[in-house]
Amino acid sequence: MKISVSQYAKSLYESVAGKSEKDTKSALKNFVALLGRNRELNKVEEIINIFNELWNKEHGELSAELTSARELKPATRQIAINYLKERTGAEKIILTENIDKKIIGGFVLRYDSKVVDGSLKTSLDDLKNKISN
Amino acid sequence: MSTTKDFIIEQLKSEISGYKAEISEKSVGKVLKVSDGIALVSGLAEAMMSEILMFKTEKGEVAGVALNLEESQVGVIILGDYTAIKEGDEVHATKRILEVPVGEAMIGRVVNPLGEPMDGKGKIETSKFYPIEKIAPGVITRASVKEPVQTGIKAIDAMIPIGRGQRELIIGDRQLGKTAIAIDTIINQKGQNMKCIYVAIGQKESKVAGIVAKLTEAGAMDYTTIVLAGASTSASLLYIAPYAGCAMAEYFCDKGEDVLVVYDDLSKHAVSYREISLLLRRPPGREAYPGDVFYLHSRLLERACKLNKDFGGGSITALPIIETQAGDLSAYIPTNVISITDGQIFLEPDLFYKGNRPAVNAGLSVSRVGSSAQIKAMKKVAGKMRLEAAQYRELAAFAQFGSDLDSETKKKLDRGQRLYEIFKQDQYQPLPVAKQVIAYYALINGFMDNVPVDKVREFEAGLYKYADLNDVAIKGINEKKEIDAEIEEQVKKLIEDYKATVDYLVK
Repeated sequence: MKISVSQYAKSLYESVAGKSEKDTKSALKNFVALLGRNRELNKVEEIINIFNELWNKEHGELSAELTSARELKPATRQIAINYLKERTGAEKIILTENIDKKIIGGFVLRYDSKVVDGSLKTSLDDLKNKISN
Repeated sequence: MSTTKDFIIEQLKSEISGYKAEISEKSVGKVLKVSDGIALVSGLAEAMMSEILMFKTEKGEVAGVALNLEESQVGVIILGDYTAIKEGDEVHATKRILEVPVGEAMIGRVVNPLGEPMDGKGKIETSKFYPIEKIAPGVITRASVKEPVQTGIKAIDAMIPIGRGQRELIIGDRQLGKTAIAIDTIINQKGQNMKCIYVAIGQKESKVAGIVAKLTEAGAMDYTTIVLAGASTSASLLYIAPYAGCAMAEYFCDKGEDVLVVYDDLSKHAVSYREISLLLRRPPGREAYPGDVFYLHSRLLERACKLNKDFGGGSITALPIIETQAGDLSAYIPTNVISITDGQIFLEPDLFYKGNRPAVNAGLSVSRVGSSAQIKAMKKVAGKMRLEAAQYRELAAFAQFGSDLDSETKKKLDRGQRLYEIFKQDQYQPLPVAKQVIAYYALINGFMDNVPVDKVREFEAGLYKYADLNDVAIKGINEKKEIDAEIEEQVKKLIEDYKATVDYLVK
């Protein structure tokens, strides 16, 4: 039977979770050997992505992306972090910040498969749709 | 007051000040793959089955429907222009199940499967929406089928009566008049307290235009909606068309009204569903149809119903149409739909080319609801008609050998020939039930025995005209719906009087 990417990631997580550095190293060695044997080394990128998600979930971490038109003040950033903590119950938020002039103003917050779109551009588009219809 | 510049600016200002930007959390996904009207989308972990998903493209938003929910991706059928969608485009969930507008405003219109107007008569103002997929009414809500749907086609009303709430399949090869039966039935519903919905699935748009013109001419568009998914429409729209038509019917049914829905035709519907399923990589089965093609049609036709008084007493009568290949009834889709419906009208090429039109095969056609869906008068004259017609065909094949026939057989043959003459009927000329009763009464009581076979149709036409002039008998049948001694006398007198005026009778 073919082993799916998420199955690889899950077994990798289980074999390294809570282990010492030495054990982890040997487990990783075995894992790479397994991938090589199954000729699936090209899938390593996807496996890492899913492993990342899995690790974050188990450790109460959440990665999110915050896009704004200008550099944000720390207080504003904290509002976003608090919002995410409250919504998802995660303990630690890993926030990546982007600056994108195209959104004109406001912010766009993305995490998991969710998006909170508070950008001025989207509001203006909505207003345009509302008036033209 | 004409609009001034100030007025416009004032309006614009109030619009803008009234507008409040709403920020809400949305589920989003990304397009992994687009091909042939199908998209694979990652993310959207909370997507529901048959939820509307909006694709953000450069050319505006395009709608799609979630059909495959998998572990890490969602299979979506695209309802709009799929060429606008690119890999990596954003998709967001709307938390709305696919629904169509319903209501009185739909009547007289030609709409696409999403309920948008196709006839250029402007916007359709409706406030209600019904989901296109709905669980069929349960046992508690139903009543038995009793009232008739008068198709106006002599052969059908006499031999294969259809009741309100029944599902009667029309099946036959191409070009044998399947659609003609359905259209005649719609035309005959004028003044019968019936709403009609004609769903064209994969039909040529020229054919549908012809049907619309004919229905308009006959005044049938006053109570008819046409749901059009033409031959050039994408498979996803063809797939939802019959469900959309059924949802529009359910609105009237819930209000306690009677509705007739024609699905023309379900073989093309099955083919479009096969296309979608194969593109979604669902495993193919017999004739490459997916495993759930039976459920595809059974869940649609099960929504035809007759509700009991406590639930409004409405009904949905379904007339699905299936096109067979070279008369092959044992193909996959025909057997499926035959087993789902409450009977079938089987059209046969032999009869058609002999000139017996509508070419209804009396032996293979049945209605499982039977005579409980006929008015008493019709029951009385049509009782053994089906048996007699089938027997005649058998005897006629036998009698071709030309041996001497006894008088009993000869009599049966003579009667049968005249019966088949009466079954002949031109297209777009449905006949009111009272006139049918008079014609059948004349036949079974031997009044036509001395009318030459080639004059039967002439005699019949004359009889109807005569009956219109002296309309006591017709009025009597329409009022009492049965033939009692008094009406029988009137009918007898009518026929005898008319016979005295014709000069071609055999002595």
